[in-house]
Amino acid sequence: MKINDNCVGCGQCATFCKFDAIIVRVRASMKDNCTNCGMCAAYCPVKAIEV
Amino acid sequence: MKAIIIGAGLGGLLSAAKLSESGYEVEVFERLPIIGGRFTNIPYKGFQLTTGALHMIPHGPSGPLARLLEDVGADVEIIRKKPTAVIRIPRKRGDTDYKFGHKDLLFEDFKMPFSLINRMKLAFYIIATRKNPPSEGSFYEWCKKHLDQDWTYRMSDSFFGWALSLTSRDVPVEEAFEIIENLYRYGGAGVPLGGCKAITDALADIVKANGGTIHTSTEVTGILTDNGNVKGVLADGQEYISDLVISDVGHSTTTGLLDGVAGNGDIRKYIDETKKLKPSAGVKICLSSDKPLIGHGGVLLTPYGKRVNGINEVTNIDPDLAPAGKHLTMSHQCVLPENLARLDEEIELGLQDLEDIFAGKEYEVLLIQSYSNDWPVNRSSSGSDLTNITPVKNLFVVGDGAKGKGGIEVEGVALGVENTMEKILEH
Repeated sequence: MKINDNCVGCGQCATFCKFDAIIVRVRASMKDNCTNCGMCAAYCPVKAIEV
Repeated sequence: MKAIIIGAGLGGLLSAAKLSESGYEVEVFERLPIIGGRFTNIPYKGFQLTTGALHMIPHGPSGPLARLLEDVGADVEIIRKKPTAVIRIPRKRGDTDYKFGHKDLLFEDFKMPFSLINRMKLAFYIIATRKNPPSEGSFYEWCKKHLDQDWTYRMSDSFFGWALSLTSRDVPVEEAFEIIENLYRYGGAGVPLGGCKAITDALADIVKANGGTIHTSTEVTGILTDNGNVKGVLADGQEYISDLVISDVGHSTTTGLLDGVAGNGDIRKYIDETKKLKPSAGVKICLSSDKPLIGHGGVLLTPYGKRVNGINEVTNIDPDLAPAGKHLTMSHQCVLPENLARLDEEIELGLQDLEDIFAGKEYEVLLIQSYSNDWPVNRSSSGSDLTNITPVKNLFVVGDGAKGKGGIEVEGVALGVENTMEKILEH
């Protein structure tokens, strides 16, 4: 998973992550337990998550 | 008659509900898997956090949004409880932060910290400005000329930071006085039971009950026009034809969907206008606590915060917005465009403010959410909104990129939708 420059840090992805694998502060970043399931990407309002 | 709506945010859903109630066939397209835009709940660790708004309606059960919700028959309850707003000031006169304790003033008593002469001036201006609203420059400039005192700037930056995510330097004086007038007219804030989602879901229910369709995970990639008239939209590679199109994605994004008609002079001028629009930015910090941090359901304005403008604790009105025995508290701070590059420091200052404001209380930071650029607090900062009409016939823009005059946040969205509906339904 790659977070691109569109990310504003709204945190929407973190709340939809089933594994509590996203930290948000200023921008989103994935923790080691991210499984690359891609669930979060659909919920990103600014297309910032590249699967 | 058929209407297509781009975006299932509050503006889009209000429009869809009103048109479906008025006999239109309505089809809504939403890019995300969820509806509600920046006005819905997102469950997180048992709390009902939000995609944007702070579970608060600026003028509660008697403002423009409540009026429109009632008009379309939305089944929601907005609760306003006293106090609707409280101002936190340092305990000792002369202190410039909350480090050495604080005391709280009712919003109605905001005049107290003014000097005697300024209190007298204020009494005069309250009457004079209602008769002849000022019209040049920013609210800050007006204050500088008429009520030059530290308290004036602190209070106006706290209030407009909370309400509009702008400083008083960025609020045009006309818009500021229109907002003040609306405070007299409509009263203070309230909390919708069930949070933001209760409202957007109720609107979606109306659309569906009237036979309308809401497509989620379906992105509109183009607006179809014919001879300066809107013809429909392109979504998922398919053409959808309609008599009118309402865009809830802001003027700038809407012009981006209009590719191919840029040759028309009016449309070129419109595109240039949209390029000048500036979104407003802000940070929301969501806190969890066992004991209440504020203890009432109104806004706590924090004019002595370094960054935080105001805070609310919605669980004092709707306990179901948090797990049993917990409270949900949310702070808002305005972020100036020049500070977006150092957002981490802005957030750090906000967190320090909360430590001072809630000194000695225990809480946990649930989530820090920031809003800017393409997912901002407001798509166009208050006072700079364009109208709801566009040079393309039967193409309208609603939402926080096309708010009505004097409307704080969602109240402005509702006023913009009301304006649009009048134009559409008068025929």
